[in-house]
Amino acid sequence: MPKTIRIPFTGDKPILIRGRSAFLLVARAKEKFPLVIETDTEELVQGVFPDDLIVVSAPEGGEVMPALYLLEMVATHHLPVIALGKNHPASRRISYVVSAAEKIEMRCDIRRGTHPEQHLLCTADEFAGMILFAEKNSLVIENCREEISASQLVWEISVAEIHHNFD
Amino acid sequence: MCSAGGPIEVDLNDPLKDRGKKYRCNDCGQTFTGLGKHPMCPSCQSENVTEI
Ligand SMILES: [Zn+2]
Repeated sequence: MPKTIRIPFTGDKPILIRGRSAFLLVARAKEKFPLVIETDTEELVQGVFPDDLIVVSAPEGGEVMPALYLLEMVATHHLPVIALGKNHPASRRISYVVSAAEKIEMRCDIRRGTHPEQHLLCTADEFAGMILFAEKNSLVIENCREEISASQLVWEISVAEIHHNFD
Repeated sequence: MCSAGGPIEVDLNDPLKDRGKKYRCNDCGQTFTGLGKHPMCPSCQSENVTEI
């Protein structure tokens, strides 16, 4: 039976959802920003607002760090995202895809990276049909068919520029 | 249902064609193509925009 589950957000820590092999990384938008979606012919712009979700999907699994980098690039640095044409050969190489919207539906019947509509996100069959949104201080997942595990990602980045004289 | 192992064969209509509507920002004059219910100016983040 499909069920609805709720997972509390803690601060702005991303929530990691794991299934059999695929995973999702889910965060809430911290501030409003224009999400710019680049296609080969035009630039599309969608408003993102606080409490909208930003979700990175890894349909075949993989490492969490690149998913976190992608999440950060969009959520914190507001980098544009790219939507490919439907026959673009690169779509088979895309391991991590991202969407930002108030409510996001997981789909397994769309070609990766090709749809600018942010309410749809490619995933593996095990997550297909799940609908994600934020309500109060929780992540709500509707139509959850499989056993999933949820955890919070605690991380810290620290970068230093060390100057040398190279003469 | 699809497999997760390769390119996915079922497709929507050409996803990149005729998406979005044209808007002009009433605050800074920027014109842009907006997607979704909440178009936002990419230059000044204004939501005060008019469809053109
Ligand atoms: Zn503007």
